[in-house]
Amino acid sequence: MSVATVDFFTMPAVVTAEQLSKTFRVKVRDPGLKGALRALLRPRYREVHAVRDVTFRIDPGEIVAFLGPNGAGKTTTLKMLTGLLYPTAGQVRVADFVPWTGGPAFKRRIALVLGNRQQLVWDLPPEETFLLNRAIYDIPERAYRERLAELVSLLELGDVLQKPVRQLSLGERMKCELTASLLHSPPLLFLDEPTLGLDVTAQDAIRRFLIEYRSRHNATVLLTSHYMQDVTALASRVLMINRGRLLYDGALEALVARIARTKRIELVLGGTDGNRVTADALAVFGEVKAFHFPNAVLEVRREDAPATSARLLAALPVADLSIEDPPIEEVIRHAFAQGFEEADA
Amino acid sequence: MSWLRRYGALIRNAWLVDIQYRAAIVLWLLWGVTEPAIALGIWWAIAGAGSVGGYARADFARYFFAVMLINQLTIAWDSWYLDRWIREGELNYRLARPLHPAHEAVAENIAYKARTASVILIVWILCAAAWPAVRLSIDPGRLALTALAVLLAAAMRFFISFTTGLLAFWTTRATAIMELHAGVSLFLAGRIAPLALLPSAVAGIAGVLWFRGMLSFPVDLLTGAVQGGDAVLRGLASQVVWLGIWILAYRIAWTRGIRKYGAVGG
Repeated sequence: MSVATVDFFTMPAVVTAEQLSKTFRVKVRDPGLKGALRALLRPRYREVHAVRDVTFRIDPGEIVAFLGPNGAGKTTTLKMLTGLLYPTAGQVRVADFVPWTGGPAFKRRIALVLGNRQQLVWDLPPEETFLLNRAIYDIPERAYRERLAELVSLLELGDVLQKPVRQLSLGERMKCELTASLLHSPPLLFLDEPTLGLDVTAQDAIRRFLIEYRSRHNATVLLTSHYMQDVTALASRVLMINRGRLLYDGALEALVARIARTKRIELVLGGTDGNRVTADALAVFGEVKAFHFPNAVLEVRREDAPATSARLLAALPVADLSIEDPPIEEVIRHAFAQGFEEADA
Repeated sequence: MSWLRRYGALIRNAWLVDIQYRAAIVLWLLWGVTEPAIALGIWWAIAGAGSVGGYARADFARYFFAVMLINQLTIAWDSWYLDRWIREGELNYRLARPLHPAHEAVAENIAYKARTASVILIVWILCAAAWPAVRLSIDPGRLALTALAVLLAAAMRFFISFTTGLLAFWTTRATAIMELHAGVSLFLAGRIAPLALLPSAVAGIAGVLWFRGMLSFPVDLLTGAVQGGDAVLRGLASQVVWLGIWILAYRIAWTRGIRKYGAVGG
């Protein structure tokens, strides 16, 4: 027991980023012909700080999600971790390598899946890309067959393998993209918007696959997504980033508890007088978010939730009552809309 | 062995894609044949019953058949691919694989060259059967030297094209630069006329720079226009030197460009 404890605490992080920064130099141009000519003769540039002093670590086996609006710096960070981009400043170690100098040995340890860029050869069936990756990653024939069978079964790919990629649906293409990226059994997965544009069923299939894959292979997963369902279903931890700065690093529930100032009281009215309760009567207790007899949802200040619940039980014919956090999407959206610091205040 | 397997897989995929687009193959082939055929037609008419700069009609015919074949064996389109990979973020997944993107480009070159050059070779053999003017009598030693010169020219043109494509790290006009190079090489590499027919100053520039080694030198080696051990050695040495220079340019462009890469897109 004590040995296991020591192992856990001395376990090296699989990803460490220290004071990571990336600044892009972007050409600026005024609109119109005059602006175009001026830009030609006297080009002007401004610096865009895509990532600023970001520090975090990820331990083996974790599933961590980057959370943030468009342009927050999520994908830029991911690209630095995979060696696609050189940072302007800071240190990174991923699977014991510095990503941009790690070479083939590093690349065999990772998989990078980009939601809107695909490696599948458009005109050929996906299996041709799989065979190409088998050669590129030096996967022995038997291991290739076994892994392909496992991935095909987990992702329910069935007869998709023989169809040209251009004839596949978006969901099928993403499943094949994942297969192509995981044939070499990488212990570390970087997924950039893996469910982008997929319908609900396909999104769910990808999430279930990632959970299963991670539990089978003890893989570490770092993902970015705009879909909160991805984050809630997959990630044990979130890194919240906005305007290039890391604003939060921890469990999603703790984040919600920290920034959500309200609680939702969900009521089911009952008894003989239940149908006489009006929205006005409910509004006395808090903001009525929904009311459709016998169900009602009230929003109250976080600290008032227990007392308001007690008053509701005493005053109204309540058959059932539960206290919930507001929907995560709403909390996060509210936090970003107000500026995280403000919401955090 | 693993490199053989990798190249085998890359070339196989390139051919599989080609098979999807049979019309494109025919169009590329026509493009490769049309330019030297037109040039030959013009010089054929100019030469008439006599000769121009020592080239009679039969010499022009052999020269442009050799241009047709060797141009296909040495041409490289990589700058166009590289430009797209860099500007549209298609380089991203290629950088995440344990294989330098240049290997994919080399394999594409081998696939393309094997496909088109073999067809042109067959066309040449069929023409030679009916038309003695385009027959070549070449000894195995010269054939081996020609093969070496073609290999050096192909390598050099690959690095020129790849390096020019890498300029897309800095500019959106990388392909325009390559177009300009192609335009200049039309004259200086001997695509529309043997260098011997150009003004001596222009032919001199082509010889000092890399253009002669790109096409004209291997063509002259095949047709027998280059004679003497010294001339052959000088030609090969020039190819080796320029290949080295272009490899160096590629290394500088790659190591600096990759640091500048914006990895656009997801």
